[in-house]
Amino acid sequence: MNVGGIELVKVRENLWEIPQTGQMQVPGRIYISRDMIEKGLKDDEALKQVVNVAHLPGIEKYSLAMPDIHWGYGFPIGGVAATNLDEGVISPGGVGYDINCGVRLATTNIEYERIQNRIDDLVSKLFQAVPTGVGASGAIKKLSMIDLKKVLTKGSVWALENDLGSSSDIDFTEESGTLKNADTEVVSKRAFERGADQVGTLGSGNHFLEVDVVEEIYDAKVAEVFGLFQGQIVIQIHTGSRGLGYQVCDDYLKVLLQASKKYGFKLPDKQLACAPIKSQEGQDYLAAMQAAANFAWNNRQVIMHLAKKVLKDTFSMTESELGFKLLYDVCHNIAKIEKHKIGKEEKEVCVHRKGATRAFPPRSKMIPAKYQGVGQPVLIPGDMGRYSYILVGTEKSMEETFGSSCHGAGRNLSRTRALKNAKGRDLIAELNKKGIAIQAKGYKTIAEEMSDAYKDVSDVVEVMHKEGITRKVAKIKPVGVIKG
Amino acid sequence: MSKSYKFVDHTADIAVELIGGSLEDLFTAGAEAWFVSVAGEIKIEEDDMLELELSASSKEELLVTFLNELNYLLITKKWLCTSIQSIKIFDDADGCELSAELKGVKLKNDIQLKQEIKSVTYHQLEIVEKDNDYSTLVVFDI
Repeated sequence: MNVGGIELVKVRENLWEIPQTGQMQVPGRIYISRDMIEKGLKDDEALKQVVNVAHLPGIEKYSLAMPDIHWGYGFPIGGVAATNLDEGVISPGGVGYDINCGVRLATTNIEYERIQNRIDDLVSKLFQAVPTGVGASGAIKKLSMIDLKKVLTKGSVWALENDLGSSSDIDFTEESGTLKNADTEVVSKRAFERGADQVGTLGSGNHFLEVDVVEEIYDAKVAEVFGLFQGQIVIQIHTGSRGLGYQVCDDYLKVLLQASKKYGFKLPDKQLACAPIKSQEGQDYLAAMQAAANFAWNNRQVIMHLAKKVLKDTFSMTESELGFKLLYDVCHNIAKIEKHKIGKEEKEVCVHRKGATRAFPPRSKMIPAKYQGVGQPVLIPGDMGRYSYILVGTEKSMEETFGSSCHGAGRNLSRTRALKNAKGRDLIAELNKKGIAIQAKGYKTIAEEMSDAYKDVSDVVEVMHKEGITRKVAKIKPVGVIKG
Repeated sequence: MSKSYKFVDHTADIAVELIGGSLEDLFTAGAEAWFVSVAGEIKIEEDDMLELELSASSKEELLVTFLNELNYLLITKKWLCTSIQSIKIFDDADGCELSAELKGVKLKNDIQLKQEIKSVTYHQLEIVEKDNDYSTLVVFDI
């Protein structure tokens, strides 16, 4: 099949390959159905970006893309690339501006039936407790430089030390909420300035806090291990490292643009600016990115703590009645040094996941003891009017995708088109009719983020399920949404 | 002075085509597109002025640095640039420099902005000079 001048060769029903040509170091591989290619990939630059990523020095095996692939900058959204640590590079374009943007999901003992008449009240109180919108700030007191440095070094552990979390929250966060090689010395003053009053804030755009109900269980055994049951209220949070992360990315794009010239890299897109991982520039970016990642984990931790308190107060419940437990926290914009099998040997590589979620299998040393028998939870948010999914990682993801899966629905309409589609409609009433309460800073966000603007996340999840990269465990649907 | 900007449909982010009769006009068009993106059509009484001096190794990098500076002023200093009073750009073999006077306003809490731009990106950014016009596409990550 030829899509916009790029040749796609079918490997399996839902796996397509872009043959290696020209200066590509490896072929491209995209997990996607024929139907999704025809509907979503013909008119944008995403496939070209898969090709571009294949040019990165030291890239191993394939330039990969997940089924939620769409046009990004540098990497496509949904892109995964592993580079070797000897001559390979690290690129901020493979991580994105919102470093460690990610999702966490907490389970509760609450059954939806018991509280369905109080969702409006709950959403209103959550909206008051968690600042949203452009440049949102002030969820907790503005941090001193000393505290902010601790956040960047310790990640979620800072929240734990400041009574904003429990030790089990840390256990159920990817990397236990801290990347250990973070270095605040390589984070700019501006990044600190942008982050100082944004701890515990959602921000705007596609970030959200949702009250969801478990609607369907696909795998009872795994769901039991995850502590999920039908009709259960769960809380889902999607946000990242806020202004601090954006600034780190900005700062290092400049550094790595110079580095790309210095090391003689010929790149098809400036946004793929990179440096050898071993170089000083590469190491500095890695350390700054890890600091921003730690900020993001702490941010989601603080937001979850604020949400937990709202639930407790709203329903006048004790800790044990509420049964609030973090299922897992996953990041989907990150570069991490991980061990993967390349050919016959296991090697350390730098896995860039730009809009892709880690999906490690049973018995991985990198996942909590509780999930050793089943694999890690993989959290895939959909859109605010339909549903999201909880999946589980498999061995096949380690064999084929560097332990990665999809990350969300992916946009179907630009924001401008979404606004046009929203004209003359009362989207809040439409959501209310579906049993979904919503509060947002502005109606425009609701219009831009409406269901029609997104692809059906079930199509995305189904591709990964059929290909055995991740398996479906449960579907959850929103009953309360707060947005920026 | 001739300048214009046109938003191009982009699925996830904001893409805008900038055209200017000079580099200065191109950068001013970029600032106008940035303003419309973050603040929309709101009318704000500008009552403040700010001087800016920036440098970069290329025209493209200077444009990103300039627009990101407006973003930084907005998010961190709560200072919204509403228009460009004057701008001068020097471009030679050693790199590029910009000096500008910005008109703007210190934001009060009651002003509701349209959206947050995470950053101005380098994606597909290439300033082309043709028939005495400068043009480029620029993508804002939102």
